[in-house]
Parts: sequence; C-alpha cells; structure tokens
Amino acid sequence: MIKQQEERFSIPDVIHPDEIVVAIQNSRSLLEDPSTIVVRTFLDSFDWRLYSRGLSLWTERRDGVSRLCQNGIPELGPNAWITLPGAAPRFSDDIPPGQIQESVAQPLGVRALMSQVETESQVRSLRLLDSAEKTVLRILLEQNGSRVSGTGQYRFCGNTIRLLPVRGYPKPLSRIRKLLRSKFGLSVAKDDLQDEALQAIGREAGDYSFKLSFNFDPMLRSDLAARQIHLYLLGIIERNIPGMKADLDSEFLHDLRVAVRRTRSALTQIKGVFSDFELDRFKSRLAWVGQVTGPTRDMDVFLLGFGQYRESLPQKFRDDLNPLHDFLTKHQKMEQQILVQKINSPHFRKLLKEWRLFLETTVDEQADTPPDATTPIGQLANRRIHKMYRRVLKHGSAINDESPAESLHDLRKECKKLRYLMEFFQHLYPNKKISRLIRVLKELLDNLGNFQDLEVQADQLREYARQMVEERETPHDTLLAMGMLVDGLLRRQQQAHLEFSERFASFSRPRNQRMFRALFASGSKGGKR
Amino acid sequence: MRILGVYNIKGGVGKTATAVNLAYLASREGLRTLVWDLDPQGAASFYFRIKPKVKGGSKKMLRGKIDLDDLIKGTDFENLDLLPADFSYRNMDLLLDEVKKPALRLLKLLRPLSYEYDLIFLDCPPSISLVSENIFQATDALLVPTIPTTLSLRTYRQLLDFVANNKLDSLKIMPFFSMVDRRKRMHIEMLEQLPKHYDELLTTHIPYASDVERMGVFRQPLLEYASKGPAVTAYEALWAEVRAGISL
Repeated sequence: MIKQQEERFSIPDVIHPDEIVVAIQNSRSLLEDPSTIVVRTFLDSFDWRLYSRGLSLWTERRDGVSRLCQNGIPELGPNAWITLPGAAPRFSDDIPPGQIQESVAQPLGVRALMSQVETESQVRSLRLLDSAEKTVLRILLEQNGSRVSGTGQYRFCGNTIRLLPVRGYPKPLSRIRKLLRSKFGLSVAKDDLQDEALQAIGREAGDYSFKLSFNFDPMLRSDLAARQIHLYLLGIIERNIPGMKADLDSEFLHDLRVAVRRTRSALTQIKGVFSDFELDRFKSRLAWVGQVTGPTRDMDVFLLGFGQYRESLPQKFRDDLNPLHDFLTKHQKMEQQILVQKINSPHFRKLLKEWRLFLETTVDEQADTPPDATTPIGQLANRRIHKMYRRVLKHGSAINDESPAESLHDLRKECKKLRYLMEFFQHLYPNKKISRLIRVLKELLDNLGNFQDLEVQADQLREYARQMVEERETPHDTLLAMGMLVDGLLRRQQQAHLEFSERFASFSRPRNQRMFRALFASGSKGGKR
Repeated sequence: MRILGVYNIKGGVGKTATAVNLAYLASREGLRTLVWDLDPQGAASFYFRIKPKVKGGSKKMLRGKIDLDDLIKGTDFENLDLLPADFSYRNMDLLLDEVKKPALRLLKLLRPLSYEYDLIFLDCPPSISLVSENIFQATDALLVPTIPTTLSLRTYRQLLDFVANNKLDSLKIMPFFSMVDRRKRMHIEMLEQLPKHYDELLTTHIPYASDVERMGVFRQPLLEYASKGPAVTAYEALWAEVRAGISL
C-alpha cells in the first residue's frame, strides 16, 4: 500500500487562518494542542546533491529538542526523523547510523552539509478526532519566516496549512481537502517550505552547478562567446572561495582548481579572440593560482583515498599507516593556512578584479580586432576541436609500450584540452553524437590520468616518507608499509601503461574517427545538423 | 528491523502495558515502531482507541490474502502504528495448523514490513501454543514480564524448557520483574535471590502502580498522562536497557 502523503496548502493573505479553523470546527470535533515555534535549518551540499535527487534534509528544533528530518524516500514515509543529540551533522558520516544516513551517504559523497536557509514557523497544531476521541488527522497551521542561517531578521514567507494523514484513516483527509477547496479555494502548494524560504531571501534551490551549460548561437562572435565562458568560470572560482578558505570540504578547492584549469585552457585554445597583450596579462597569473593551490589538493587527495590505501594492504599492516595519516592531516592544515594567505593576498584579489573588469568591458565592435574575434563561434569551435583532435590522433598513434612516460603525459594534456573544448561547445552539436565522443575521450583520459596520477602519488609518498623521517622518529614498519603502497601504485601504473594501446585503439577506431570528422571537419560551418 | 515479543505463559503480568509503553518510548526517539496486538482481548488496541477489528479476520491474513500493510492503523503518536487485534485471533492456532510451515507463518507475514519499521512489538496472548511458537520463531528477543512469585518462576522455567526442547537457541530471552510490590515479603526475597540464578534477568523492574492501571481510564500510554513517578522512571529505564540489549 502506498502511504498517504502529507498535503500542504498555501493560505493567501486575504484569508485569516482563524477562518479555516472555525470552518473545520463547525463540521468536526477538533482538539488544539499548545502552539509551538519550530526552527528548521535546511541542509544540502554546496552543489545541491540532495535536492537534485529529490531529497531534502533539515534539522528541526522545537521545545528545546532537535531532530534531523528527511523527505524524499518513499519507503521511509513522509518526514522521517531521528533525534539529534549534538550539533547538526557536517558530513554524512556524522549522522547516526540508520536509513537516513544510508540514503544521503551515497549522493553526498565527500561533500559537507551546509545550511542553505533557516526558517522559523509559528505552529498551531490541531487534531481531528473520531467518536472515540482518537486522532484521525493532524492539521498544522504555520506562519513561516526565513533568513540566511543565523543572520538577520526572519522575512515572512507565507502562511500554510498542512494536513498530515493518520495511517489507515484516509477519509478525514479527503473531507478536509474538499472543504479547503470548496470554501476557501485552496489547492495543494506547488513549492515546499525550502523553496519558499529560499525565494524569500532571493535564492533558489540548485543555484550552483559545476556543470558547463552554454547555449550560444553558432553565429555569435567568438570573442563574445569566449567572454561568456570565462565569466561563467570566473563565477565558479569566486563562489568557491569562501568554502575553500573555510575548508568546509575538499571539493571547493577542487572545483576552483578545475575552473582555473578550464580558464587557462580556454584562453589558449579559443585562439585569436583576445589580443596577445591581454592574453599575456592573465596567462601566467592564472598559472600561479594553479601552483599555489596544488599542495593542499595533493594532501586532500591522499586523505580522501586513505581508506583505500589502507585496504590495499593486508590486514596486519594496515595500522602501520597511522603515522602517515597523522602526517597528512597535520600537513594538510599547514598547507591550507598557506593557501588561505595566498588567496587573501592583494595579488590574487587584483587578478580576479582585473580579470572580471576585462571580461565585462564592452567590446568595441568597430575597433581593430584580433583575427578570430568576429569569426562565428560555430566555425571557430569546429576548427579548434578538429585541429586538437587530429593532434591527439597523431601523437597517440605514435605511442607504443616502449614509449617514455612523458609522451603519455603530453598526450593527456592534449586530450584534456580537447575535452574542455568539446564541453564548452557541446550544445552546438547533436547531443547524442557529441556525448558519445566525449564519453570515449573520457575513457581514454581515465587511463592516461591513472598512468600519471599513480606515478605522481608514488613519488609523493616517497617524498613524504623522507619528510616524516626528517621531522620526527618514524617507525620502520610505517616506512615499510608506505613502501608497499608505492609498490602497489607503481604496479598499477605499469598496468595502466599496458592498457593504453587498447584504450587508444578503442578511441581511434574508424567509427569514432568518422563521427569526429562528420561533426567537426566542415571547418567553416558550425550549426546543428 | 527488530522484532520484540512481549510474552508470558501467564496472563495479567503487565504484557500489554510493557508493549504499549516501550513502543511509545521507542517512537519518541524516532524509531518507526509498530505494535501488533495479537491478543484477541485487544487491550493494546483499546489503549490506542482503535477498534479491535481486522478486515477479513485472521483467516485471510494468515493465508496471505490480504497484506498486513493494509490493516495497519496510525495511533495518536508520531512514528507509532498499530496492527489491531481481532476476535478471530482466538482461533489462530487452528488456522495456523492448516497452512504450510505453520511455525514460520508470522515471520513470513512480518518480513515485508522490514523497510517500514525499525521495531515491531508483538503483544502476545498468554499460554503456550502454535501461536507462541510462531512468536518465538519471528522475534529477535522475547521480553518476559514476570511477577516475583514462585508460581511465576515456575512458568518462566516452563518457557525455558520449551525453548530448549524446540531448538530455539538463537532466541534472546529478556525476563524482568513486573508489578513489583515492595510491601510483599515474597517479592523482596525474589528480587534479591533470583538475579543470582538467572543472568539474563534485566536489572530494571516495574513497580506495581496505580498510574499504570489508569492507562485503561485514559486510554493512553502511561507517559502521555503522567510525566513523572516511579512507574514512568521504571519504563524509561527498562526501555534504555532493552534498546541496549538488542543493539538498536
């Protein structure tokens, strides 16, 4: 049996909630419990991972008791909750074990929960009774206000009436629903409280996404299209700075770094749209951002993967890695402090300010322009993607099992450039076809990424071992266990090298080559076909 | 999901009060809780003001013609539902005898509820029968309210014998003293002596209290109308002990 769900109605300003209570009272036996104030804090990751899966999670405080509540899992029924003994959970692991924890752990992954909006509701609780004075329907009248968590005054965001059915008593719900419709013209609210609360503070759910989603006219001037791409990426950089500085979770830094990398790639790959002078002003400074954010990210990667490293060793050696975990935690904090100093530096702030100013400055369409500034973006996208594709094909074909590691590293860089270009201009091409080509490219990139990352990690572990010995006495068993890790990483890297030819053959198979040519080789034309 | 039976061969030992009050406390902690009132007298249903009636009676239910899911009623309390009693439960033994694998039938019926509930209390009828055997097979633990008298001790031993003879070794038995009257010498003596002989005996005991008897007047769980008092404290302590005992 599908459980009856709660129904929620917005009460327009012209209707006083008392009128509704009187109308229900006239027809039914109604009991009113003491009214309460409920404060809810809606939680989600910065990138709305729960919301995008139809889940909502919030803490609810009433009469001095806190609960963690969840909606969106049909099997759990509406508004499943557990008591919350301490502070709101930061990561999914902080939630007490149970189905709420299980249902959010996978979508959240490594992301932290953040307070997205806070509401305060004055709640009148009424109960509809049957002839044995048994509750057969709960009716909650709520006057809601919302604010950014912990700051400022609550702003009114609507009166609502909620009907909470009691299992096995479907009729009272339909009777009251009917009364609300016929007498007051109320219908079920389209939005939930979180949506209404966000609207009242000028936000909406899902207002941050890391995904690239442009929709250029293929005839748009390329310099204008490039500016739009850069402005979008700059927005991502700026929005991730507060969370990165506070080290809320590792993904703020990750998203920022990828946005910088995409920016740098776009600057050099969407060629001929800005003057060389402008390019030079920003290229090296953006590279600097990549450099200063690297050490913290390296530590993050090790800490995120630590569980897997541990498990890759036989059971009896796993605890030997504990000093490495301590070392990584301590150094992550140190690197994070250095990173925050760099991000707070005038150099970084000036870079973002000047970059934004440049991107937002109106293009003088009459002025002398770089060679491809006015080229339609569809045409330029074709040309650039096809050129990069041919380069990848040429260099990839020349690699064999004996080739030096550098040739694979260089190919990875080219593949990444190709991938970013294809992602920037994805919408200019038939979705099914370009998605397929991006997928095959990603498969190749996974292999190349593995090859390089495993080597880098092995080198870093060796370096960490040296550092650990220098800093303090380190047990021999720890160093031996780290040696086992290095060995495992290098073996997997070797494996990745051996797999390369197969992956590349799949990427460059005739069908894919035909598809690449068909989509991008027409040079001057760029529209959908 | 955990299933807890509240059982004693003897009647009138405080089974229903235990099931209702512990279920109430569990639900208040956020556990999705169900009470199945298996006693045809329907005392638990009465406490929750729910008609002791099941659509189609136990015949349809045991033959799988109707889902338990469709028979469940919400109580006045969040997270706490009831599967009501039905007068036809008095014939449950006979009906169970007609189905395949009769001893496992209740467990089979309860299984689909595992995703909906964290905890199910079975408020069991007294006596040893095919119904009790079903209850032993279905439950993770058996709560046995026991009045500290020699006669009660005898029935407890009968239960232990039955469990041993029927190879129910995995069944966790959690006896505790119920309706303890400290004015009675026998109660005091049993309270002192028995823990030495029965390791499984819970440390909490429920006092004899008029507050508990008034559940029938208020038709509510004790803690809903009495916020303090020895009986309230005892049920709270019992719940904490039981919860820890079943690792929930």
